[in-house]
Amino acid sequence: MTFQALYTLTDIRIILRETAPHHVLDETRRAQAQRLLENLERQVASLKQEMLK
Amino acid sequence: MRCGTGIEARQVNELYINIDPIQAGGRLTADAMKAVIAYGDGYSVCDNCRKPNRLDYISKPPIAGFHRDVADWLNMDAVRVVPGARRGFQAVANTYVRKGDPVLLTSLSHYTEFLAIEGSGGIVREIPQDTAHKITADATATKIEEVKREFGREPVLAFIDHVDYQYGNMHDVKAIAKVAHHYDIPVLYNGAYTVGILPVDGKDLGADFVVGSGHKSMAAPAPSGVLAATKERAAEVFRTTAIEGDVTKRRFGIKEPEMMGCTLMGATLVGMMASFPLVKERVKHFDRELENNRMVLKALLSVSGTKVLSEYPRNHTLTRVDTIASFDTVAESHKKRGFYFSGALEEKGIVGVIPGATKVWKFNTYGATTQQASFLADAFITIARENGLPLTP
Repeated sequence: MTFQALYTLTDIRIILRETAPHHVLDETRRAQAQRLLENLERQVASLKQEMLK
Repeated sequence: MRCGTGIEARQVNELYINIDPIQAGGRLTADAMKAVIAYGDGYSVCDNCRKPNRLDYISKPPIAGFHRDVADWLNMDAVRVVPGARRGFQAVANTYVRKGDPVLLTSLSHYTEFLAIEGSGGIVREIPQDTAHKITADATATKIEEVKREFGREPVLAFIDHVDYQYGNMHDVKAIAKVAHHYDIPVLYNGAYTVGILPVDGKDLGADFVVGSGHKSMAAPAPSGVLAATKERAAEVFRTTAIEGDVTKRRFGIKEPEMMGCTLMGATLVGMMASFPLVKERVKHFDRELENNRMVLKALLSVSGTKVLSEYPRNHTLTRVDTIASFDTVAESHKKRGFYFSGALEEKGIVGVIPGATKVWKFNTYGATTQQASFLADAFITIARENGLPLTP
């Protein structure tokens, strides 16, 4: 789960690189970012559950 | 934000469009970044190293397969990974050059090629560039004849850059190699700006060796690179050790002296491997990169007085321009002097032009998206307008 979250953040990092400097996201990238951020939230929640149980 | 005491997290490529001439092709892919996260520990690729205990035999992660794939991709017979192109130059120079041997470089060769020859005790003779800053087959033949007159023998080796670092010009390696081979001179193809950027077919070019830079052009961490050889030359440059300890009688299996045994043993190699599928794909689309470069150059050339010093139209995205009669005229009276230009670019979200440079400078648009190239083009025009420079329609 740690790697999954880190890798999701990496994919987000690539979006930042591709849209530098102003990070204006077109529709496709916005959808991609939304999906990644939702995945990240799920991954962090799972991590929290596993580590703090 | 810091990633260690005194070490700021580097966010250059997240916050800016980076047109640094040497950094463009080495930016990591997402997969390479992920590989670096997982394989950052030293010796991380050695978990499953088994006899005969050599890096290029490891199958998990698939290093052995990577070596075969890179050799196929470059149309060469054998490949080793090296800590940067320079170590590839060094391995070849160590193998073929003895003290006092003449070696052919060019007047546009990178300094590491000189140092590789120096380290082996060789003597450099440079093929001169022509007025268009190109290295030609004719100039090569003339230089070889000169060397023969001077040394009484041919050069033992020729290092030829396909695209040079000074102008980003593309040189006719195939024709040059043909001339060199006529004199039985082995040719090292320096692909620091091509391997991983555009298609390279080593055998078609007539290369005995192909050297590529992972961190310059293969979306890999530094220091990384590849040295590829033909079958005949591989037996020489990748020869195995024969040394034996007099007390312990130890021998060292199939380790290769020129590689100093194993070379890239962690994140550098796995990063290069992780990027490789995308790198193989991206070389097929170099025309898009040239299109972006054209868009930016068109904007720069619309600022009256700007000249392209590289060959034009461009065959590579690394480009050298002369803005003495344009942006530099502003520097003369600007309170920030020449720093106004890089400052204005940075304010707009662009970095990579040497701070203070307004006369002759280089940039590289490789890897920019079309939107970013367009933004870049607009930025140059805007800076020209803001500073009262005339634009040609």
